[in-house]
Amino acid sequence: MSQSDFEVIRRVLHGETAAFELLVRRYQQTILRLTQRMTRNVEDAEDLAQDAFVQAYRSLASFHGQSSFSTWLYRIAVNLCLNHRRATRREDPMEVNGNVPDAREDSLARLLAAERDRALAAAIEELPPQQRATLTLRVYQGLGHREIAEILDCAEGTAKANYFHAIRTLHRKLDARRSSD
Amino acid sequence: MKSCEGIRDRLMDLIEGELTAGEHQRLEAHLAQCPECCREARALRETLARLRSLPEPAVPDGFLDGFSAAVQRRISAETPPRVVLWRRVAAWLSGRSSLRPVPALSAAAVLGLLLVIGLVRTPRAPQPSPVPEVLVVGETLSIAQNLDVLEQFDILEDLDLLEQLPLLQAPENGRPPKMG
Repeated sequence: MSQSDFEVIRRVLHGETAAFELLVRRYQQTILRLTQRMTRNVEDAEDLAQDAFVQAYRSLASFHGQSSFSTWLYRIAVNLCLNHRRATRREDPMEVNGNVPDAREDSLARLLAAERDRALAAAIEELPPQQRATLTLRVYQGLGHREIAEILDCAEGTAKANYFHAIRTLHRKLDARRSSD
Repeated sequence: MKSCEGIRDRLMDLIEGELTAGEHQRLEAHLAQCPECCREARALRETLARLRSLPEPAVPDGFLDGFSAAVQRRISAETPPRVVLWRRVAAWLSGRSSLRPVPALSAAAVLGLLLVIGLVRTPRAPQPSPVPEVLVVGETLSIAQNLDVLEQFDILEDLDLLEQLPLLQAPENGRPPKMG
């Protein structure tokens, strides 16, 4: 039976530092997905995910267990992504998950779908940071509003409102884009 | 419509199936006779569907093994994290080994323990002795009144130094000795 996160943390804090790898393996995919969604750049995502684990390791003694370890780790990773974004806001057009189809082989429908995805990704990128983080945590990480509120250090009602406004804003942006095409 | 604002606040809950049966029915009934809210619900539903259809970021095969190894390399250069003394004592007092929020009772017990150590070990005639500078953080022993602050002091890991806490108590005028 696998050990709980709290048990693993206890072992690390009592000197069995190698046990931290269990936590890395347990959450690496989740955190990488989050940082990829938040940065939309593979190299940045990997660096930030690594930073999140290293920072968690450094701060492990201050983890009080009021939230789950995953919530705490999410909080570290989201903050790193938001700070990174502030520091390196891109001006260039974004890649869309590296899945742009090859025009020679793919049908027009797929090209159009890719174009729609690109437009949606660009619209997400323009959302205010809190809305963007909320949207990512809700839609792509599947978290509940309460946990999102804990991660983003806001009220649950605020997390819900941010989510609602993010989706409504996206709809309006895409609608406006459709009308202008 | 007057009630639309309250309805729209719940549209995402409706779309994500997070309403009770009664609320669900009430909202559906409203949508059936309010074209504006119905349009809004459709727009939100479509946008959410499009968001969910965005492709998952690809993680190359073998990438995760390399990732884990890279994190291990980086943390091997870090100072190992340690549990601070008062939390260890609190966990012991509360009879639990896992990390959980320390109840007020345990925290109070730790404070009591610290005070007892201080009282028992207080010399009748304090000898001038070098006090580690890091311990002098305030006018009094208020360091022990705030466990979050206390936690920052690794020096408390060392029981020998902990026993010097009484030396911080003011000899005469209630003020800690000045460090030169």
